[in-house]
Amino acid sequence: MMRTAKIILFAALFLPALFAANVGAAAEAEQVFKFYCAQCHGLNGKGGGPNVTKDFPVTPRDFTNTAQMNKLSDNDIRGIVMDGGPSASKSPLMPPWGKTLSDGDVDGLVKLLRKFCNCKGKPG
Amino acid sequence: MKLMIAIFAGALVGAAVSAPAGASPADGKKVFEGQKCNACHYTDGPAKEKSIADQLAKKGPELWYAGSKFQRPWLEGWLTKPEIIRSLAYNSLTDKNKGDHPKPAGADAKNVADFLMSLTTKEVKAGKIKPKRSLKGRLVFNKKMPCTGCHRSAGKKGKVSGGISGPTLIGAAKRLNPDWVFAYLNNPTFFKPFKAMPTFAGILKAKDIKNVATHVSTLK
Ligand code: HEC
Ligand code: HEC
Ligand code: HEC
Repeated sequence: MMRTAKIILFAALFLPALFAANVGAAAEAEQVFKFYCAQCHGLNGKGGGPNVTKDFPVTPRDFTNTAQMNKLSDNDIRGIVMDGGPSASKSPLMPPWGKTLSDGDVDGLVKLLRKFCNCKGKPG
Repeated sequence: MKLMIAIFAGALVGAAVSAPAGASPADGKKVFEGQKCNACHYTDGPAKEKSIADQLAKKGPELWYAGSKFQRPWLEGWLTKPEIIRSLAYNSLTDKNKGDHPKPAGADAKNVADFLMSLTTKEVKAGKIKPKRSLKGRLVFNKKMPCTGCHRSAGKKGKVSGGISGPTLIGAAKRLNPDWVFAYLNNPTFFKPFKAMPTFAGILKAKDIKNVATHVSTLK
């Protein structure tokens, strides 16, 4: 009885904090995405940002394309975001962000892209 | 005591002589403040932005190193006849730049240009970049790196292409100090701690940073 009460008290005290931290991280990832990625991939992640005009030679990935995004593991995404398109034999128009974003930023972006595609991707 | 007064007077006369008549940065500063330019631009460095939110709260680009960034003739001309540099409204991905920048009148523009040109930084070293054709720099700009994804430029036959989220680089040859372009590419966060442009220092070789800065400095 006493134990359950303690657990409930513990949960009541700490869960909101944990929850808030998660919401905070998600909001931060969204801000990072809007600031750095949306200019090409679009605010909705569908690949139609303002840079993608008629003469933009390759379409930036539509992150809501589940089939395509499922081909990538979380580490594949991390690699291409840090090192740019050519590191994965893709277009150099996908920039290397390794000297701009922190590891935490990139982890947040991976989670956000997984939300866009509603997919888990290849393991690894 | 008399000696002190004499030294003081001497210093004052010296200062008055060294500032050419009718062209004092102090007059320009008064115009800048009087016309509320500082509602959108800050002029005291170093960089103040501590987060993306700070950058997004700005209503116009920072000008605290304007004297190291711009070429004087361009600056004076642009102030009286501003042309769109960023296709999109500042800090927006959805709204167009309406092209309604304030235009100070002739004499005011000259004084403001004096003031802005007095805002320099030691981070920009003179004589590093000589604008000249750089095939290697052009290759980096057009092919190896994503520069054209975000910046407009004009090709050899004058054909304009490129993305619009970054300032246009058409006319960079007249607008930007080549040594500033080099300093910015080498240490971008000194000028812009939070910017939508990736940092290329440490990704591009030092030589290619120099090459691409040289190429940018020739863009007409
Ligand atoms: C200058 C435009 C541009 C910006 C900015 C940009 N991207 Fe890209 N991105 C592209 C292009 C173009 C491609 C497609 C490359 C190809 O298919 O060859 C791409 C592809 C990708 C891919 C690979 C998808 C796949 O199927 O292999 C990922 C992941 C990605 N981008 C994430 C991001 C993230 C995260 C950001 C922000 C940090 C970002 N991109 C910013 C242009 C851009
Ligand atoms: C309402 C906000 C606002 C006010 C007031 C304002 N500016 Fe600006 N200024 C901007 C914006 C936005 C830009 C970017 C314009 C563009 O890219 O086409 C800009 C650009 C500039 C530039 C070029 C900077 C660069 O990096 O491209 C200079 C110089 C400048 N302003 C000086 C002034 C002066 C002088 C005044 C006062 C007479 C002034 N501004 C008043 C918003 C403002
Ligand atoms: C993902 C988009 C993007 C890419 C890729 C990009 N830039 Fe930029 N660039 C920007 C933005 C946005 C700014 C303005 C930053 C600010 O003022 O906050 C900028 C600013 C600049 C400026 C200063 C222009 C001015 O008038 O203030 C130069 C020069 C420049 N970039 C050169 C380059 C070069 C060279 C490359 C390739 C090596 C490159 N950029 C790649 C987005 C980009």
